[in-house]
Amino acid sequence: MREETRREAVWQFLTYGFILLGAVTTLVPLYWIFVASTLEESEFLSSTDPRLIPGDSFLGNFEALRARENVQFVGRVGEMTQYVDLGPVYFAYDFWNLWNMGAIESSIFVAGVYTILSLLLCSMAGFAFAKYDFRFKQPIFYAILATLILPIQLLVIPLFLLMSQIGLTNSYWAIILPWLANPLGIFLMRQNMRSIPDALLESARMDGATEFQLYYKIALPTMKSSLAALSIILFLFQWNLFLFPLVILDQGKYTIPVAINQLVGAQRVYYDQIMVAATLSIIPIFILFLFLQKQFVSGILAGSVKE
Amino acid sequence: MKIVMANNDRSPVGRRRVLKGVGLAGLAGLAGCAGTGDPGSSTQTTASDDSMDSGGSTDTETTAASGPAMADSIEVWGWDVAAKSLDLVDEPYEDANGGDVSINQIGRADLKDKFKSTVLSGSGAPAASMMESVDAASWVNTGGLRDISAWLEESGIKGEFVEGKWGPLESDAGTFALPWDIGPVGTFYRRDVLDEYDIDVDSVETWDQYIEEGQKLPDDQYLLNLPSNDYDGLWRMMYRQIGGQPFTSNGDVNIHSDKSLQVARILNRIRDSGVANDVASWSSSWFTAFGEGTTASLTAGAWMEGTLKAELGDTSGSWGVFKPPAVESGGSRATNWGGSNITIPAQISEETARRAWDYMAFALGRPENQLTMYREFGIFPALETTYDSEAYDEPHEFLDGQPAGRLFADIAPEINPYRYTVDTPEVTKAINTHFRDMMAGDKTPKEAVDAAAQQVADRTDRDLA
Amino acid sequence: MATRDSLPGPDPSVRDRLRFARQSVGELVPTPGEGIVGYVFLLPAFVLFGVFLAFPIIYTFYLSFFRFNGVGNDTLLWIDTGFFSYRLTSIADLEFVGLANYTTMFSDSLFHQALFNTTFILVVQVPLMVALALLFAVALDASFVRLRGVFRTVLALPVSANLVAYSTVFLLMMQDAGLVNYILTSLGLPAIPWLTSSFWSRITIVGAVTWRWTGYNMIILLAGLQNIPQQLYEAAEIDGATRIQKFRYVTVPQLRPVLLFVFVTSTIGTFKLFSEPVIINGGGAPLDSTITIVQYIYQAAFIDFRLGYASALTYVLIAIVSVLSAIQLNVGGDSDA
Repeated sequence: MREETRREAVWQFLTYGFILLGAVTTLVPLYWIFVASTLEESEFLSSTDPRLIPGDSFLGNFEALRARENVQFVGRVGEMTQYVDLGPVYFAYDFWNLWNMGAIESSIFVAGVYTILSLLLCSMAGFAFAKYDFRFKQPIFYAILATLILPIQLLVIPLFLLMSQIGLTNSYWAIILPWLANPLGIFLMRQNMRSIPDALLESARMDGATEFQLYYKIALPTMKSSLAALSIILFLFQWNLFLFPLVILDQGKYTIPVAINQLVGAQRVYYDQIMVAATLSIIPIFILFLFLQKQFVSGILAGSVKE
Repeated sequence: MKIVMANNDRSPVGRRRVLKGVGLAGLAGLAGCAGTGDPGSSTQTTASDDSMDSGGSTDTETTAASGPAMADSIEVWGWDVAAKSLDLVDEPYEDANGGDVSINQIGRADLKDKFKSTVLSGSGAPAASMMESVDAASWVNTGGLRDISAWLEESGIKGEFVEGKWGPLESDAGTFALPWDIGPVGTFYRRDVLDEYDIDVDSVETWDQYIEEGQKLPDDQYLLNLPSNDYDGLWRMMYRQIGGQPFTSNGDVNIHSDKSLQVARILNRIRDSGVANDVASWSSSWFTAFGEGTTASLTAGAWMEGTLKAELGDTSGSWGVFKPPAVESGGSRATNWGGSNITIPAQISEETARRAWDYMAFALGRPENQLTMYREFGIFPALETTYDSEAYDEPHEFLDGQPAGRLFADIAPEINPYRYTVDTPEVTKAINTHFRDMMAGDKTPKEAVDAAAQQVADRTDRDLA
Repeated sequence: MATRDSLPGPDPSVRDRLRFARQSVGELVPTPGEGIVGYVFLLPAFVLFGVFLAFPIIYTFYLSFFRFNGVGNDTLLWIDTGFFSYRLTSIADLEFVGLANYTTMFSDSLFHQALFNTTFILVVQVPLMVALALLFAVALDASFVRLRGVFRTVLALPVSANLVAYSTVFLLMMQDAGLVNYILTSLGLPAIPWLTSSFWSRITIVGAVTWRWTGYNMIILLAGLQNIPQQLYEAAEIDGATRIQKFRYVTVPQLRPVLLFVFVTSTIGTFKLFSEPVIINGGGAPLDSTITIVQYIYQAAFIDFRLGYASALTYVLIAIVSVLSAIQLNVGGDSDA
């Protein structure tokens, strides 16, 4: 028994070591991005004396970023032009004009809407592929998978043409709609939903559940952790989109990657401001992860299914 | 619903509409999107060209009071200081000619991607955009730009620009852009460093003499930088200086000419002489080397002064500039690096294009406006009629009081034309690849230029000259 | 219960019991035929696909048989109903060249270079990353590990880092006198030319991509782990299986569909690699040793305006990756779908 305890201790020690090593390796570049955001540009770029301790220029860099004319990274208070006069209280009723969205809000908004809508679509399609038989199922699936490979660099031109024909240029819908049926998401849900036991679905059918009820009463709840992972995939997918948003959106609507790229000048790259923007744009994802990772618990499926 | 959105989306109202749309869960509205039969918005897509330029002009109503009709408002794209300098002449233009010009500042690489996408897809392009001379030939070749030769003739300003600028802007089908600035080349040097080692740039006439003088520097200091990621830059500058052309007039590859070989030999001598540093261009260590004086000179376009000033402000006053050394004694000391133009996409409607032209002719064709941009941002005019202005005689503090403008204004009219083509990127690649072999001693200069020419010919279906 | 720790060779009793357990969970029960229902679930995805992606995809394929000569302005369709009118112009002046775009590729050495670079990165990077992701997922699923949530979040963060920012940091770290070489030399190891040697610059790209995407894949695998029925582990424990045996005979087979997903999507992701080499290696330097296929496609389309050729390259890319994915799916036992 003591032998076993000792082996257990060694095992745990090794596991911790591995995790810590991974975490440190992961954090070094991120930490450096953060440090760079707190330094003056010349301090950061100095090749002779790399700085690894945060400086005190973060706010200065942030102000410089806010002061840029061609990029609005963080939103600001808009002009409140319309009010309801209630005697002592002025009530601005045009809410959407209260806040001019910057790139950060745009990205959160677009990625959020996209994630919610796409979750629905991908899980439905994934459920169909995993749990139903129909003609041409395999060919259709492979075709969807193949579209994953299409490089956006080539799709940009016809897609832009399409969007301008249907009048969606400079609209957030233009970067949300084309990828709602995300092949990555459909594929992931197909793979995960295969582990839903047919017996479970069959017994629900016996109890008179409709096919759609099977999907949202059985498939979705048992797939909680997979849906959380899918949310992360979808959110990040939209969060990192660059070329098409650049082409289709006008200045006031830029998302984070497009806005940051505006800091890369012809002769000069504003590293200090880029690093501030990069640091700030990690925060929403950090919060999202912390929130979603609570969903990573064994699904109902894993614990309760018994013969 | 959709078409209206496209035209009005600039306003916050557009955003509100989008947000409201979310409430509808999006999907319901989709079926409608696919169709075009929405009579309610019919006036928005008329049969005219107007439907194609929603991105270029927000309002195509015409003033039409006198003269040809012009759109009220236009959007012009530019990057960095170029966009800022356009902004300088924005208000004077609106005061003088009316209209509403908005300058959209977009990063350089992004502007190119965005502009090319809109031009190639035939919709969404701005009324006008800046275009670098290097890109001009291939952009013109897409057929997506507007021929402005009639207007150019009418205005009579064509002859006022530096001759060498027009080549890449023209094709058999016409003229497609108006020149803006050029980059007359000077050799910027660290005055303090060269003085310390008794190197007198005034006595230097040729590259060979310059290399010789450079031997006076200690081992850990270099006369210049010859970056192995950018051989083509120096090659192109020198090749143009001695009147070389990368392609003959009938399109044959000509980068293996005697002149090209001459340049290759000089570059090889520079490397072998040990006076050249090898730091990647534009990297942080590249700037640092100039700041610390470990690389003592830099041959580049006039615009480099502004860049050096911005990056190495604390070295102000310890710089100077002289005409780039000649390739051979008695040879030309004038060449060019960089320069832009303004172009109008073909998809832009007549009225919008007319307004764009009106603005371009005002901003670029009038000496006072070009000089405003030069004074403020150092954008060196391609407009020859400015060159006798006293603006060029002002001392430059960064260059220890040297009136560098005069030097460049003297160089500018002497610059040889240079034939940029759609295959210029191939030349860049080939020169870099084979010159690297040459510098490593794997190829003789003759072999290097021949191999480069052969590679370009192979990859472009062109013949060798 | 006496365990036989002696590997290799699977313990027959463990395997049999697992097979039985799996069957009892019902995994191998064939899917009932439902006819039309599958289509109904697929419909929304189909509609969106049809509206937004069908045209670009078909147009690209069409383009691949043509030579692009410039922007077109011919009227293709003009509807004038009196109420409204609509004009659709052709977007390009095209010249039919048959299969010429496809045959050009055989003699295009830069394309071959791009294909080689991408394959090299693929072969080194994907297995390394998937292995790391799997190990992290299993480690961070272990109940004894404290602060699991924090560690998981930290490991998954790189994918949200802005590309320009992280590539710049990598560029600085990998310079000849950068942080990485500083660490190497202080450990008494030789400095490595991370950015200037053909071989090592590819390794740098591998490192950057692995850093960015390992945590992301770990999250996916972690989610997959939650779907493994607990009684399979219990069954294995009853037989006294060791940790490694449980990993090998329960975790890996049960995670197979998700592992396949990770392999296939990472392969595709590598083939679509674009921005990292552009920023870290300045677009293919040194000597085109890091130029990737998509970068080359981008160059053909956006720099050289050879849209037809770029389209053909895209379809060849699709063909290559489809075959690879099909192989992966078949080897990975996806055929029992």
